[in-house]
Amino acid sequence: MYISSNNVSFSANKKDKNLEYNHDTLLKNNLATRTRMNIDKFTNAITVYPAKGITGNKNANFYEFLTMGIFPYITGSATLMAVFNYAGKHYAPFQKVMSAQTGNKLALGVLFYGIMKSFSKSFISTPVKALTGIDTERPYAKVIYELPDDINDTDIVSIEHHKVFESVEFPRWDLLYGDETKGQKRNYRYDKIAKKLGLGENLNDSDQEVKPKIKEIVVKSSLAKNISSYFWAACGVGLAFQKPWEKYFNVMTFKFWKGKEFLKSLKSFGNSFVESAKEFYKGEGKGIQKHAGKILLGIAALSSILGVINSVSGAKKPTDNVFKKGGTNYEF
Amino acid sequence: MSSNLIQNYIASKPQQNPIKQDMPDFNIQHELDNRTFIKPLTGSGELLSGNIFSSPKQFSDSFVYKMKALKHAAKGKANDHELGKINDIGLVAGGLAIATYLFTKRTTNMTKGMEFIGLGSFLASMALWPVLAIQLPAYLIHGVNVKKKYKDSFGRVKPFYQDPQFIPWDLYSDKEINKIGDRLGVPKNIPNRRDFIQEKMKKIAVQNNTLWMLTAGFATPIMSALICNMSEPYLLKHIDEKQNKKADKILSNLEDYSKKYKDNAVTKDIETVIKNHSGAPINKEIQDLVFEAFTRDMDAVSAESFRKDLTKLLSDGKYSVNEESAKEIITNLKTQFAGKDFSKEFLEAAIPSEEEIINLLNENELLGKSLKPVEFVKVSNAVVNKIAIKVHLYNAAHVDDAENMQYIRKLILNNKSEEHPIIKALLKRQSSVLNEDLAQKLKNLAGIFDNFRAKNFALDEYALIKTGAAPETVIANYWNKVSNDFLKTLGVKQKELEKVRFDENLMGELLRDKIEKIVSDEKSYNRVMTSLAESIASINKKLKPSDITSHMLSDNVNKTAYETAVDSIFENFATQLRESGFERTARAIAGNGEDAFGTYRAIQKAFAEERILGVKSSFYRLLNTLDFYHRVANDPNGLKSINGATIAREVKEELIELCKIITLSGHSSDFATKFYMKRNPHPNLEDMSPIEITAGKVKNKYFGKATQTTDIPNDKYFYQNAMNYMFGGEMSPETKAILDKFMIGDEVAKYRQLVFKNIGGEKYFYKPRHRVANTNASSNIKFLLTGISPQELFFKSGQQLFNTKKWLSIFGKFGAGLLGITVLAQFFFGHMKVPKGGKNA
Repeated sequence: MYISSNNVSFSANKKDKNLEYNHDTLLKNNLATRTRMNIDKFTNAITVYPAKGITGNKNANFYEFLTMGIFPYITGSATLMAVFNYAGKHYAPFQKVMSAQTGNKLALGVLFYGIMKSFSKSFISTPVKALTGIDTERPYAKVIYELPDDINDTDIVSIEHHKVFESVEFPRWDLLYGDETKGQKRNYRYDKIAKKLGLGENLNDSDQEVKPKIKEIVVKSSLAKNISSYFWAACGVGLAFQKPWEKYFNVMTFKFWKGKEFLKSLKSFGNSFVESAKEFYKGEGKGIQKHAGKILLGIAALSSILGVINSVSGAKKPTDNVFKKGGTNYEF
Repeated sequence: MSSNLIQNYIASKPQQNPIKQDMPDFNIQHELDNRTFIKPLTGSGELLSGNIFSSPKQFSDSFVYKMKALKHAAKGKANDHELGKINDIGLVAGGLAIATYLFTKRTTNMTKGMEFIGLGSFLASMALWPVLAIQLPAYLIHGVNVKKKYKDSFGRVKPFYQDPQFIPWDLYSDKEINKIGDRLGVPKNIPNRRDFIQEKMKKIAVQNNTLWMLTAGFATPIMSALICNMSEPYLLKHIDEKQNKKADKILSNLEDYSKKYKDNAVTKDIETVIKNHSGAPINKEIQDLVFEAFTRDMDAVSAESFRKDLTKLLSDGKYSVNEESAKEIITNLKTQFAGKDFSKEFLEAAIPSEEEIINLLNENELLGKSLKPVEFVKVSNAVVNKIAIKVHLYNAAHVDDAENMQYIRKLILNNKSEEHPIIKALLKRQSSVLNEDLAQKLKNLAGIFDNFRAKNFALDEYALIKTGAAPETVIANYWNKVSNDFLKTLGVKQKELEKVRFDENLMGELLRDKIEKIVSDEKSYNRVMTSLAESIASINKKLKPSDITSHMLSDNVNKTAYETAVDSIFENFATQLRESGFERTARAIAGNGEDAFGTYRAIQKAFAEERILGVKSSFYRLLNTLDFYHRVANDPNGLKSINGATIAREVKEELIELCKIITLSGHSSDFATKFYMKRNPHPNLEDMSPIEITAGKVKNKYFGKATQTTDIPNDKYFYQNAMNYMFGGEMSPETKAILDKFMIGDEVAKYRQLVFKNIGGEKYFYKPRHRVANTNASSNIKFLLTGISPQELFFKSGQQLFNTKKWLSIFGKFGAGLLGITVLAQFFFGHMKVPKGGKNA
């Protein structure tokens, strides 16, 4: 039986709903996209997804559960700060000051932990991209078709933000092919990677050549990101626990409408940051106590460097085809 | 119309005229018999059984799996599941990195240990909260294990409800699903019962997983902090016992333990000096280098004595005269004459050249000789005579500008040795050299010093661990524990602390009320005094009096083990120093026999002894305060120790009030100024009626009612009565019995005597006759005996206790509330409309 393609649509109807995408779409990996994605994820994580989950919505899925992971991170950070700060208001003045100092350092530690953990992933992905042409963080928008809640429910489309290589077993290879209707070469992205990896140019099937290598690099860089980001996060905590921050805490204010005070606070933050970074690196006392900061920083840097080296090390030699018989992941 | 990939494909596909062919008939039996198509693999997954807590085997399997995942990932061959597990490894590794870094920043064992407990408790809380607050209640309420795990066909352990859109329901048999359905109350007669039960289980799981995400952020830090809070006393106890045992071991095995400190630093430094200056004349630089090497850890007084001994060793008392001396003499003369209004021409004419000086020394047979300081005059005279000749010649040629010879002589000769231009130059060159013999002596001496230093460090460590004024020493831990126990023993409530915690005087009033109430009832007094005495006496278990003690508080004149060790080490060192000719140093460090007053040895002993005296005095003072209040409550009129029967009631009231204040809050200054108190200068001396006591408090008839009051400096009896009343007389028999029971009766009695004599004997210029003894104790001893007042002690520990309880109250309530809401919410989960044919489940 022949079914007319006009009658079947696997796409969202753009006219019906003001949707940004109507099919799975590869996105550019730039600051604007990342920011938009993060805002979208964050907003959903604290509104739509918990509401769906707590009511046991039949469309709730694993992506939503994972995205909701930001919720305990934020509430956990706030609670951690409160644990040290909140009771302080009941203490005697001196004890209150001492407690607030620890609390403020902890709050800063939580903040730096998050920043360093997130930012440090680029220490792996940027050099890996530069050396191999593979953007391990490439995002795409996924269009999801949900089950209608009832017969009148027409709002059944939702957008999820994923990464092309978030699954190494099922990467979205299809999204990396060029759109020939737009004059793009079908394999142009794979061609670029093949060239970077030294496999040559004008290959007949560059996609088939590079896919196993991409997988290997994605797995290795994922390992490097997972391990090194936690060491960088630890450096963030170490930085926050330095004494010079106490000067900042004395003048700290977030009241931006009080221009002079706010400016002073910002300036103090800058100075304290520089002084704390120096103190973290130089250390005080003797022996391990003095060099602990250097060692931690060294471990973090080393984990990133080794991570990058390992990620790109096997890139230019022939890789076992994981699809062949006896390959690691699949056996046919 | 929107387009998609399939449409694009269809649209872009080259159009071909389809060639119509008849499809062959499809015979299923034929296909099955010949197996011509591919069948899906048979699933081999399984549900994991077991209770909600991970078994050790599961834990170890999980660990092994993670390690394998790490290996696979490093080779680029890991799968998604394995990569997910690597995040767990990173989290723990990062956490350990943070804990280790902060560990190095902490200064005490307790705070260092707490860093790792903090990490452990955080990770444990992350794991425990979903088990205790989500999984367990859900199972008890619904009979559904929302964190059920299964092993997939590849042997990967995964949460059963991880992705609600892909739940491997086929792993549950109908029987199992129906059993859960029964527990869920799903009617048995509904159509598609299995599907309905599955949907209900899924709904419960999704809701619980969301609840987990919503609550974990609040719960984990609070659980972690509560775990830390609960662990802290146990860790402290463990560290305290370990520290105490370590200290005992140091003392009993001092010789061996000191090897840890044997760094041979002095020997190494001396060997460097010898290596760099072997055979060189001993000059000031070498002397300083040797001095610094030996006195690196020495106090300034002993070091000064050492310098004198060292100078004697390094010098043979003679100084070399050579060509360098000639150069130096000229330089010094030029410096001496500079700025004295001499013309350049005169200076050139008057100051001899290097050659002239050398010739001069040669002529006088002084060049190359070694001279004693008394012989320096030969050089000095020769040079001055030479200058005189040259000045004479200059004056003859410059009659108008002639210089005064007498003035020039004075300019050179009227100087002390260290400023004399000629002698100064000669003193620079000792004739002794750093020869083999001297080098050997220095090496031997360095060995003696290194041995002593190592043993001395070991003694320091012992004294510090036991009695140091630092956090987490044995005595500091004892202090903290006993202080906290007091508040509990006295029954001070959190609400009471909340009102008085910012004001020491308010705390004093609260304390006074508590004590007066306790002493009014014999039973409660015995309970409280027993508890306090037992707590205070525990110090003698930690600091055994035979090992280390304060002799002032005990009648024991025998040396403690610590003192024996100190004497032995210091006397041995002194003997060796004397044998090496370092008599002054030996005396400064160890004294002479038993006469060690003011020496390093005495300081080594006094440090520990005084710390013990200070701490014990503070606690014994508290016991005395309680006993005093008890005596007032039980015998207000007898005032046995001061023959109170002859004192007028108004004065008695004043006296009791003063003593109550002083015992509770008196500071060193109050004792020193002989208790300033505003009293009625004209009391009613006729009224000898007895004092009335109600519930431990004096019912004052006069006190506080006089309109004009003043301190009365000429009433020495009032002061003497007060001191007698507080410290001089006997303690109550009840108190004595309790203190004796815990073997501290004698020490407390001795303490009271010491205060009575030393503080009571103190002379105050304004009230010279206000004394009960004629002793002249040092201010140090008076300070230690006064100790900390009970009021101040309670103020500090009260604030600490309040803060701890307040914190626990805030976050304990929050944690309990969160747990309550989390559990309660689960009763509303899984509600679904039952299909026709059944009731709502």
